[in-house]
Amino acid sequence: MSADEKTNIRETVRHFVLGSTAITQLNDDENLFELGIVNSLFAVQLMTFIEKTFQIEVGIDDLDIENFKSIKATTAFVLRKNGGVAA
Amino acid sequence: METLLTDPQKTRYQEFKEFVATNVQPFVEQWDRDQRHPASIIEQLGQSGYLSSTISPEYGGKGWDFVTYGLLNEAFGRASSALTDLLTVQTMVAMTLLKWGTDKQRGQWLTPLARGEVIAAFALTEPGAGSAIESLKTEFRHTNNGDTLILNGQKKWISYGQVAGLFLVFGKLKEKPVACLLERGIAGLEIEPIQEMLGFKSAGLAKINFHDVEVPSSSIVGKPGFALSHLAPVALQYGRLSTACSAVGLLRACFEESVLYAATRQIGDRTVGKIDMIRTFIAKMGADLGAAQLLCYAACRAEDEHLPEAFTKILVAKYYTSRAVVRAASDAVQIHGASGCQESSPVARYYRDAKLMEILEGTTQIHEQLLSGLFVDQAAQLKG
Repeated sequence: MSADEKTNIRETVRHFVLGSTAITQLNDDENLFELGIVNSLFAVQLMTFIEKTFQIEVGIDDLDIENFKSIKATTAFVLRKNGGVAA
Repeated sequence: METLLTDPQKTRYQEFKEFVATNVQPFVEQWDRDQRHPASIIEQLGQSGYLSSTISPEYGGKGWDFVTYGLLNEAFGRASSALTDLLTVQTMVAMTLLKWGTDKQRGQWLTPLARGEVIAAFALTEPGAGSAIESLKTEFRHTNNGDTLILNGQKKWISYGQVAGLFLVFGKLKEKPVACLLERGIAGLEIEPIQEMLGFKSAGLAKINFHDVEVPSSSIVGKPGFALSHLAPVALQYGRLSTACSAVGLLRACFEESVLYAATRQIGDRTVGKIDMIRTFIAKMGADLGAAQLLCYAACRAEDEHLPEAFTKILVAKYYTSRAVVRAASDAVQIHGASGCQESSPVARYYRDAKLMEILEGTTQIHEQLLSGLFVDQAAQLKG
Protein backbone atom coordinates (compact mmCIF):
# COMPACT_ATOMS: atom_id res chain seq x y z
CA MET A 1 0.00 0.00 0.00
CA SER A 2 1.36 3.40 -0.93
CA ALA A 3 1.94 6.24 1.50
CA ASP A 4 -0.75 8.23 -0.32
CA GLU A 5 -3.29 5.48 0.24
CA LYS A 6 -2.45 5.35 3.95
CA THR A 7 -2.80 9.11 4.15
CA ASN A 8 -6.13 8.86 2.40
CA ILE A 9 -7.42 6.38 4.99
CA ARG A 10 -6.17 8.51 7.88
CA GLU A 11 -7.76 11.68 6.52
CA THR A 12 -11.02 9.89 5.74
CA VAL A 13 -11.16 8.72 9.35
CA ARG A 14 -10.23 12.18 10.64
CA HIS A 15 -12.94 13.79 8.53
CA PHE A 16 -15.54 11.40 9.93
CA VAL A 17 -14.45 11.87 13.54
CA LEU A 18 -14.44 15.67 13.26
CA GLY A 19 -17.84 15.56 11.59
CA SER A 20 -19.18 13.69 14.62
CA THR A 21 -17.81 16.10 17.23
CA ALA A 22 -17.95 19.76 18.14
CA ILE A 23 -14.23 20.30 17.56
CA THR A 24 -12.41 21.38 14.41
CA GLN A 25 -8.98 19.86 15.00
CA LEU A 26 -7.69 16.56 16.28
CA ASN A 27 -4.21 15.08 16.51
CA ASP A 28 -3.63 11.54 15.31
CA ASP A 29 -2.82 10.25 18.80
CA GLU A 30 -5.49 11.96 20.86
CA ASN A 31 -7.71 9.46 22.70
CA LEU A 32 -11.26 10.12 21.49
CA PHE A 33 -12.96 8.42 24.41
CA GLU A 34 -10.79 9.83 27.19
CA LEU A 35 -11.16 13.35 25.83
CA GLY A 36 -14.90 13.08 26.28
CA ILE A 37 -15.58 14.60 22.89
CA VAL A 38 -17.67 11.73 21.61
CA ASN A 39 -21.10 10.57 22.79
CA SER A 40 -22.16 7.14 23.98
CA LEU A 41 -23.27 6.15 20.48
CA PHE A 42 -20.01 7.12 18.83
CA ALA A 43 -18.35 3.72 19.18
CA VAL A 44 -21.07 2.12 17.09
CA GLN A 45 -21.20 5.03 14.64
CA LEU A 46 -17.45 4.68 14.10
CA MET A 47 -17.80 0.94 13.61
CA THR A 48 -20.55 1.43 11.02
CA PHE A 49 -18.51 4.07 9.24
CA ILE A 50 -15.46 1.78 9.04
CA GLU A 51 -17.52 -1.15 7.78
CA LYS A 52 -19.29 0.90 5.14
CA THR A 53 -16.38 3.02 3.96
CA PHE A 54 -13.63 0.41 3.91
CA GLN A 55 -15.82 -2.63 3.19
CA ILE A 56 -14.62 -4.57 6.21
CA GLU A 57 -16.52 -6.46 8.88
CA VAL A 58 -15.86 -5.63 12.54
CA GLY A 59 -16.28 -8.86 14.49
CA ILE A 60 -15.85 -10.19 18.00
CA ASP A 61 -12.10 -10.51 17.68
CA ASP A 62 -11.86 -6.84 16.76
CA LEU A 63 -13.57 -5.64 19.93
CA ASP A 64 -10.60 -3.96 21.52
CA ILE A 65 -10.55 -0.30 22.48
CA GLU A 66 -6.96 -0.16 21.22
CA ASN A 67 -8.32 -0.53 17.68
CA PHE A 68 -10.52 2.57 17.84
CA LYS A 69 -9.17 4.90 20.49
CA SER A 70 -7.57 7.44 18.15
CA ILE A 71 -7.34 8.37 14.48
CA LYS A 72 -3.95 6.66 14.34
CA ALA A 73 -5.27 3.48 15.99
CA THR A 74 -8.33 3.34 13.74
CA THR A 75 -6.20 3.85 10.65
CA ALA A 76 -3.86 1.06 11.71
CA PHE A 77 -6.85 -1.19 12.35
CA VAL A 78 -8.23 -0.59 8.85
CA LEU A 79 -4.84 -1.27 7.32
CA ARG A 80 -4.47 -4.50 9.29
CA LYS A 81 -7.89 -5.79 8.32
CA ASN A 82 -7.27 -5.68 4.60
CA GLY A 83 -5.17 -2.68 3.70
CA GLY A 84 -8.51 -1.15 2.72
CA VAL A 85 -8.87 2.00 0.61
CA ALA A 86 -11.70 4.49 1.07
CA ALA A 87 -14.53 3.53 -1.30
CA MET B 1 -44.97 6.97 0.70
CA GLU B 2 -46.00 3.92 -1.27
CA THR B 3 -44.64 5.55 -4.41
CA LEU B 4 -41.18 5.13 -2.92
CA LEU B 5 -41.53 1.38 -2.54
CA THR B 6 -40.27 -1.19 -5.01
CA ASP B 7 -42.79 -3.62 -6.48
CA PRO B 8 -41.63 -6.51 -4.24
CA GLN B 9 -41.93 -4.24 -1.18
CA LYS B 10 -45.46 -3.23 -2.20
CA THR B 11 -46.42 -6.86 -2.70
CA ARG B 12 -45.07 -7.90 0.70
CA TYR B 13 -46.73 -4.92 2.41
CA GLN B 14 -50.05 -6.01 0.96
CA GLU B 15 -49.41 -9.55 2.16
CA PHE B 16 -48.61 -8.28 5.66
CA LYS B 17 -51.78 -6.19 5.79
CA GLU B 18 -53.90 -9.14 4.66
CA PHE B 19 -52.31 -11.42 7.27
CA VAL B 20 -53.01 -8.86 9.97
CA ALA B 21 -56.60 -8.30 8.84
CA THR B 22 -57.30 -12.06 8.97
CA ASN B 23 -55.20 -13.35 11.83
CA VAL B 24 -54.65 -10.41 14.19
CA GLN B 25 -57.22 -7.62 13.95
CA PRO B 26 -60.29 -9.75 14.84
CA PHE B 27 -58.65 -10.98 18.04
CA VAL B 28 -56.69 -8.08 19.51
CA GLU B 29 -59.41 -6.89 21.83
CA GLN B 30 -59.64 -10.33 23.43
CA TRP B 31 -55.87 -10.65 23.66
CA ASP B 32 -55.75 -7.24 25.34
CA ARG B 33 -58.35 -8.38 27.91
CA ASP B 34 -56.58 -11.72 28.45
CA GLN B 35 -53.22 -9.93 28.74
CA ARG B 36 -51.61 -12.63 26.66
CA HIS B 37 -51.32 -14.01 23.13
CA PRO B 38 -52.25 -17.60 22.38
CA ALA B 39 -49.44 -19.87 21.26
CA SER B 40 -51.24 -20.26 17.93
CA ILE B 41 -50.50 -16.72 16.72
CA ILE B 42 -46.83 -17.07 17.63
CA GLU B 43 -46.74 -20.31 15.63
CA GLN B 44 -48.36 -18.55 12.71
CA LEU B 45 -45.81 -15.76 12.87
CA GLY B 46 -43.02 -18.30 12.90
CA GLN B 47 -44.46 -20.26 9.97
CA SER B 48 -44.99 -17.10 7.96
CA GLY B 49 -41.38 -16.04 8.48
CA TYR B 50 -42.39 -12.84 10.21
CA LEU B 51 -40.14 -13.57 13.18
CA SER B 52 -37.15 -14.00 10.90
CA SER B 53 -37.53 -11.10 8.54
CA THR B 54 -33.99 -9.77 8.92
CA ILE B 55 -32.21 -13.05 9.68
CA SER B 56 -30.17 -14.31 6.77
CA PRO B 57 -31.46 -17.30 4.76
CA GLU B 58 -28.36 -19.19 5.88
CA TYR B 59 -30.17 -19.57 9.22
CA GLY B 60 -33.64 -20.06 7.84
CA GLY B 61 -34.58 -16.41 7.85
CA LYS B 62 -36.17 -14.32 5.14
CA GLY B 63 -33.23 -11.95 4.77
CA TRP B 64 -35.57 -9.09 3.86
CA ASP B 65 -34.35 -5.52 3.60
CA PHE B 66 -35.10 -3.04 6.36
CA VAL B 67 -37.71 -1.17 4.38
CA THR B 68 -39.66 -4.43 4.24
CA TYR B 69 -38.99 -4.95 7.95
CA GLY B 70 -40.38 -1.48 8.57
CA LEU B 71 -43.50 -2.24 6.52
CA LEU B 72 -43.98 -5.47 8.49
CA ASN B 73 -43.85 -3.57 11.78
CA GLU B 74 -46.18 -0.87 10.44
CA ALA B 75 -48.74 -3.39 9.25
CA PHE B 76 -48.74 -5.19 12.59
CA GLY B 77 -48.67 -1.92 14.50
CA ARG B 78 -51.94 -0.94 12.82
CA ALA B 79 -53.64 -3.74 14.75
CA SER B 80 -51.55 -4.56 17.82
CA SER B 81 -48.65 -2.67 19.35
CA ALA B 82 -48.19 -5.53 21.80
CA LEU B 83 -47.80 -8.20 19.13
CA THR B 84 -45.47 -5.96 17.14
CA ASP B 85 -43.31 -5.79 20.27
CA LEU B 86 -42.65 -9.50 19.73
CA LEU B 87 -41.18 -8.69 16.32
CA THR B 88 -39.06 -6.05 18.03
CA VAL B 89 -37.50 -8.19 20.74
CA GLN B 90 -37.04 -11.24 18.53
CA THR B 91 -35.14 -9.10 16.04
CA MET B 92 -33.06 -7.37 18.71
CA VAL B 93 -31.76 -10.65 20.11
CA ALA B 94 -31.36 -12.36 16.73
CA MET B 95 -29.44 -9.47 15.20
CA THR B 96 -27.19 -9.30 18.27
CA LEU B 97 -26.33 -12.97 17.78
CA LEU B 98 -25.89 -12.50 14.05
CA LYS B 99 -23.37 -9.70 14.61
CA TRP B 100 -21.62 -10.73 17.80
CA GLY B 101 -22.42 -14.38 18.46
CA THR B 102 -19.92 -17.20 18.15
CA ASP B 103 -20.44 -19.76 15.38
CA LYS B 104 -21.82 -22.14 18.00
CA GLN B 105 -24.28 -19.58 19.39
CA ARG B 106 -25.50 -18.65 15.92
CA GLY B 107 -25.79 -22.29 14.92
CA GLN B 108 -27.69 -23.19 18.07
CA TRP B 109 -30.16 -20.30 18.23
CA LEU B 110 -30.73 -18.42 14.99
CA THR B 111 -32.80 -21.06 13.22
CA PRO B 112 -35.09 -21.76 16.19
CA LEU B 113 -35.52 -17.99 16.61
CA ALA B 114 -36.28 -17.60 12.90
CA ARG B 115 -38.92 -20.33 13.06
CA GLY B 116 -40.49 -18.98 16.22
CA GLU B 117 -39.69 -22.23 18.01
CA VAL B 118 -37.96 -20.12 20.65
CA ILE B 119 -39.07 -16.68 21.77
CA ALA B 120 -36.32 -14.34 22.87
CA ALA B 121 -36.27 -11.66 25.54
CA PHE B 122 -33.87 -8.72 25.72
CA ALA B 123 -33.07 -8.39 29.41
CA LEU B 124 -31.38 -5.02 29.86
CA THR B 125 -33.64 -2.84 32.04
CA GLU B 126 -33.42 -3.17 35.83
CA PRO B 127 -35.56 -1.79 38.66
CA GLY B 128 -32.81 0.79 39.27
CA ALA B 129 -31.56 1.20 35.71
CA GLY B 130 -34.02 2.09 32.99
CA SER B 131 -32.61 4.95 30.98
CA ALA B 132 -29.30 4.90 32.87
CA ILE B 133 -28.07 1.56 31.58
CA GLU B 134 -24.56 2.28 32.84
CA SER B 135 -26.01 1.77 36.34
CA LEU B 136 -26.67 -1.94 35.83
CA LYS B 137 -26.34 -3.97 39.02
CA THR B 138 -26.88 -7.48 37.67
CA GLU B 139 -23.61 -9.19 38.46
CA PHE B 140 -21.71 -12.02 36.88
CA ARG B 141 -18.72 -13.64 38.52
CA HIS B 142 -16.50 -16.51 37.46
CA THR B 143 -16.17 -19.68 39.45
CA ASN B 144 -12.64 -20.63 40.45
CA ASN B 145 -11.86 -22.53 37.27
CA GLY B 146 -13.29 -19.79 35.06
CA ASP B 147 -15.50 -22.17 33.06
CA THR B 148 -18.73 -21.11 34.71
CA LEU B 149 -20.41 -17.82 35.48
CA ILE B 150 -22.63 -17.23 38.50
CA LEU B 151 -25.33 -14.64 37.96
CA ASN B 152 -27.28 -12.62 40.53
CA GLY B 153 -29.59 -9.70 40.00
CA GLN B 154 -32.94 -8.54 38.69
CA LYS B 155 -34.43 -7.35 35.46
CA LYS B 156 -37.81 -5.64 35.07
CA TRP B 157 -40.25 -4.62 32.33
CA ILE B 158 -38.88 -7.34 30.05
CA SER B 159 -41.17 -7.77 27.02
CA TYR B 160 -42.24 -11.38 26.45
CA GLY B 161 -40.30 -12.41 29.52
CA GLN B 162 -43.33 -14.45 30.54
CA VAL B 163 -42.97 -16.80 27.57
CA ALA B 164 -39.37 -16.41 26.37
CA GLY B 165 -37.24 -19.51 26.04
CA LEU B 166 -34.01 -17.56 25.58
CA PHE B 167 -32.85 -14.49 27.46
CA LEU B 168 -30.04 -12.13 26.47
CA VAL B 169 -29.05 -10.76 29.85
CA PHE B 170 -26.87 -7.69 30.38
CA GLY B 171 -24.83 -7.16 33.52
CA LYS B 172 -21.32 -6.60 34.77
CA LEU B 173 -18.42 -8.97 35.16
CA LYS B 174 -15.74 -7.39 37.35
CA GLU B 175 -17.21 -3.98 36.42
CA LYS B 176 -17.00 -4.76 32.70
CA PRO B 177 -20.37 -4.68 30.90
CA VAL B 178 -21.20 -8.13 29.57
CA ALA B 179 -24.11 -9.90 27.85
CA CYS B 180 -24.91 -13.56 28.26
CA LEU B 181 -27.43 -16.10 26.95
CA LEU B 182 -29.67 -17.94 29.39
CA GLU B 183 -32.26 -20.59 28.71
CA ARG B 184 -35.60 -20.77 30.45
CA GLY B 185 -35.82 -23.41 33.13
CA ILE B 186 -32.26 -22.98 34.36
CA ALA B 187 -31.92 -23.33 38.13
CA GLY B 188 -32.16 -20.03 39.98
CA LEU B 189 -34.06 -18.23 37.20
CA GLU B 190 -37.36 -16.88 38.54
CA ILE B 191 -39.92 -15.18 36.32
CA GLU B 192 -42.68 -13.00 37.76
CA PRO B 193 -45.41 -11.87 35.34
CA ILE B 194 -46.18 -8.16 35.35
CA GLN B 195 -49.90 -7.58 34.92
CA GLU B 196 -52.17 -4.59 34.44
CA MET B 197 -49.84 -2.52 32.30
CA LEU B 198 -51.37 0.69 30.97
CA GLY B 199 -50.76 -0.46 27.41
CA PHE B 200 -49.12 -3.29 25.46
CA LYS B 201 -51.20 -5.45 27.79
CA SER B 202 -50.60 -8.72 25.95
CA ALA B 203 -46.83 -8.25 25.55
CA GLY B 204 -46.14 -10.62 28.42
CA LEU B 205 -43.91 -8.33 30.48
CA ALA B 206 -42.02 -9.88 33.36
CA LYS B 207 -39.70 -9.23 36.23
CA ILE B 208 -36.82 -11.67 36.24
CA ASN B 209 -34.81 -12.64 39.29
CA PHE B 210 -31.47 -14.41 39.12
CA HIS B 211 -30.39 -16.34 42.24
CA ASP B 212 -26.92 -17.85 41.81
CA VAL B 213 -27.75 -18.90 38.25
CA GLU B 214 -24.90 -20.92 36.74
CA VAL B 215 -24.12 -20.68 33.03
CA PRO B 216 -21.07 -21.74 31.04
CA SER B 217 -18.65 -18.90 30.30
CA SER B 218 -19.19 -19.78 26.64
CA SER B 219 -22.65 -18.21 26.99
CA ILE B 220 -21.11 -14.76 26.86
CA VAL B 221 -22.02 -12.94 23.65
CA GLY B 222 -19.32 -10.69 22.25
CA LYS B 223 -16.61 -9.71 24.74
CA PRO B 224 -16.73 -8.44 28.31
CA GLY B 225 -16.35 -4.67 28.34
CA PHE B 226 -18.27 -4.06 25.12
CA ALA B 227 -21.83 -5.01 25.99
CA LEU B 228 -22.97 -1.42 26.55
CA SER B 229 -20.80 0.28 23.91
CA HIS B 230 -21.38 -2.14 21.04
CA LEU B 231 -23.93 -4.88 21.75
CA ALA B 232 -26.77 -2.93 23.37
CA PRO B 233 -26.59 0.11 21.02
CA VAL B 234 -26.76 -2.10 17.92
CA ALA B 235 -29.69 -4.06 19.35
CA LEU B 236 -31.47 -0.90 20.50
CA GLN B 237 -31.05 0.53 17.02
CA TYR B 238 -33.24 -2.28 15.68
CA GLY B 239 -35.59 -1.86 18.62
CA ARG B 240 -36.04 1.83 17.90
CA LEU B 241 -36.60 1.21 14.22
CA SER B 242 -39.22 -1.43 14.94
CA THR B 243 -40.94 0.76 17.52
CA ALA B 244 -40.93 3.79 15.22
CA CYS B 245 -42.56 1.82 12.41
CA SER B 246 -45.01 0.21 14.82
CA ALA B 247 -45.94 3.70 16.02
CA VAL B 248 -46.63 4.70 12.41
CA GLY B 249 -49.04 1.76 12.17
CA LEU B 250 -50.77 2.86 15.36
CA LEU B 251 -50.91 6.42 14.09
CA ARG B 252 -52.53 5.15 10.90
CA ALA B 253 -55.06 3.29 13.04
CA CYS B 254 -55.90 6.52 14.89
CA PHE B 255 -56.21 8.39 11.62
CA GLU B 256 -58.36 5.80 9.84
CA GLU B 257 -60.69 5.32 12.80
CA SER B 258 -61.06 9.08 13.16
CA VAL B 259 -61.75 9.65 9.47
CA LEU B 260 -64.34 6.86 9.39
CA TYR B 261 -66.01 8.16 12.52
CA ALA B 262 -66.04 11.72 11.19
CA ALA B 263 -67.60 10.55 7.94
CA THR B 264 -70.36 8.53 9.52
CA ARG B 265 -71.27 9.96 12.92
CA GLN B 266 -74.27 12.25 12.50
CA ILE B 267 -75.04 15.22 14.66
CA GLY B 268 -78.25 16.81 13.54
CA ASP B 269 -78.23 17.16 9.79
CA ARG B 270 -74.51 16.86 9.29
CA THR B 271 -71.65 14.52 10.03
CA VAL B 272 -69.01 15.22 12.64
CA GLY B 273 -66.58 15.52 9.76
CA LYS B 274 -68.20 18.81 8.76
CA ILE B 275 -67.29 20.42 12.07
CA ASP B 276 -64.21 22.64 11.74
CA MET B 277 -62.70 21.67 15.09
CA ILE B 278 -62.86 17.99 14.16
CA ARG B 279 -61.43 18.70 10.73
CA THR B 280 -58.50 20.45 12.39
CA PHE B 281 -57.74 17.37 14.46
CA ILE B 282 -57.82 15.20 11.36
CA ALA B 283 -55.68 17.58 9.33
CA LYS B 284 -52.95 17.49 11.97
CA MET B 285 -53.20 13.74 12.27
CA GLY B 286 -52.92 13.21 8.53
CA ALA B 287 -49.94 15.52 8.22
CA ASP B 288 -48.20 13.82 11.13
CA LEU B 289 -48.87 10.44 9.54
CA GLY B 290 -47.31 11.53 6.27
CA ALA B 291 -44.25 12.93 7.99
CA ALA B 292 -43.87 9.86 10.21
CA GLN B 293 -44.04 7.51 7.22
CA LEU B 294 -41.31 9.40 5.41
CA LEU B 295 -39.03 9.60 8.46
CA CYS B 296 -39.33 5.86 8.98
CA TYR B 297 -38.74 5.15 5.30
CA ALA B 298 -35.59 7.30 5.36
CA ALA B 299 -34.37 5.55 8.50
CA CYS B 300 -34.99 2.10 7.01
CA ARG B 301 -33.21 3.03 3.79
CA ALA B 302 -30.22 4.37 5.74
CA GLU B 303 -30.06 1.08 7.64
CA ASP B 304 -30.29 -0.88 4.40
CA GLU B 305 -27.34 1.08 3.04
CA HIS B 306 -25.43 0.66 6.34
CA LEU B 307 -24.87 4.40 6.58
CA PRO B 308 -23.40 5.87 9.79
CA GLU B 309 -26.15 8.50 9.72
CA ALA B 310 -28.69 5.70 10.18
CA PHE B 311 -28.23 6.22 13.93
CA THR B 312 -29.44 9.78 13.80
CA LYS B 313 -32.23 9.02 11.34
CA ILE B 314 -33.52 6.17 13.50
CA LEU B 315 -33.42 8.33 16.63
CA VAL B 316 -35.34 11.06 14.81
CA ALA B 317 -37.89 8.58 13.45
CA LYS B 318 -38.56 7.04 16.86
CA TYR B 319 -38.64 10.43 18.59
CA TYR B 320 -41.05 11.97 16.11
CA THR B 321 -43.39 9.03 15.59
CA SER B 322 -43.76 8.18 19.27
CA ARG B 323 -44.71 11.76 20.12
CA ALA B 324 -46.96 12.08 17.09
CA VAL B 325 -48.88 8.92 17.94
CA VAL B 326 -49.54 10.13 21.49
CA ARG B 327 -51.05 13.31 20.03
CA ALA B 328 -53.01 11.33 17.46
CA ALA B 329 -54.38 8.86 19.98
CA SER B 330 -55.44 11.65 22.31
CA ASP B 331 -57.16 13.46 19.44
CA ALA B 332 -58.81 10.24 18.27
CA VAL B 333 -60.41 9.78 21.68
CA GLN B 334 -61.44 13.45 21.67
CA ILE B 335 -63.06 13.06 18.25
CA HIS B 336 -64.98 9.99 19.42
CA GLY B 337 -66.11 11.71 22.59
CA ALA B 338 -67.60 9.51 25.30
CA SER B 339 -67.62 6.46 23.04
CA GLY B 340 -63.84 6.73 22.78
CA CYS B 341 -63.55 6.44 26.54
CA GLN B 342 -65.01 2.94 26.72
CA GLU B 343 -62.55 0.04 26.95
CA SER B 344 -64.23 -1.73 24.04
CA SER B 345 -63.47 1.20 21.73
CA PRO B 346 -60.35 0.68 19.62
CA VAL B 347 -59.26 4.27 20.18
CA ALA B 348 -59.27 3.70 23.95
CA ARG B 349 -56.64 0.97 23.44
CA TYR B 350 -54.71 3.16 21.00
CA TYR B 351 -54.57 5.88 23.69
CA ARG B 352 -53.13 3.45 26.23
CA ASP B 353 -50.69 1.80 23.85
CA ALA B 354 -49.49 5.10 22.39
CA LYS B 355 -48.13 6.36 25.68
CA LEU B 356 -45.75 3.42 25.98
CA MET B 357 -44.23 4.33 22.64
CA GLU B 358 -42.66 7.36 24.36
CA ILE B 359 -41.07 5.18 27.01
CA LEU B 360 -39.84 1.89 25.61
CA GLU B 361 -36.68 1.57 23.49
CA GLY B 362 -35.51 4.87 24.94
CA THR B 363 -37.72 7.57 26.43
CA THR B 364 -38.54 10.81 24.64
CA GLN B 365 -36.21 12.58 27.06
CA ILE B 366 -33.29 10.27 26.28
CA HIS B 367 -33.88 10.86 22.59
CA GLU B 368 -33.84 14.62 23.16
CA GLN B 369 -30.59 14.26 25.07
CA LEU B 370 -28.94 12.19 22.33
CA LEU B 371 -30.29 14.19 19.40
CA SER B 372 -29.42 17.56 20.91
CA GLY B 373 -25.83 16.38 21.34
CA LEU B 374 -25.66 15.11 17.77
CA PHE B 375 -27.18 18.29 16.35
CA VAL B 376 -25.17 20.75 18.44
CA ASP B 377 -21.97 18.94 17.49
CA GLN B 378 -22.73 19.80 13.89
CA ALA B 379 -22.24 23.49 14.66
CA ALA B 380 -18.48 23.17 14.31
CA GLN B 381 -18.97 21.82 10.79
CA LEU B 382 -21.48 24.49 9.85
CA LYS B 383 -19.05 27.23 10.85
CA GLY B 384 -16.50 25.70 8.48
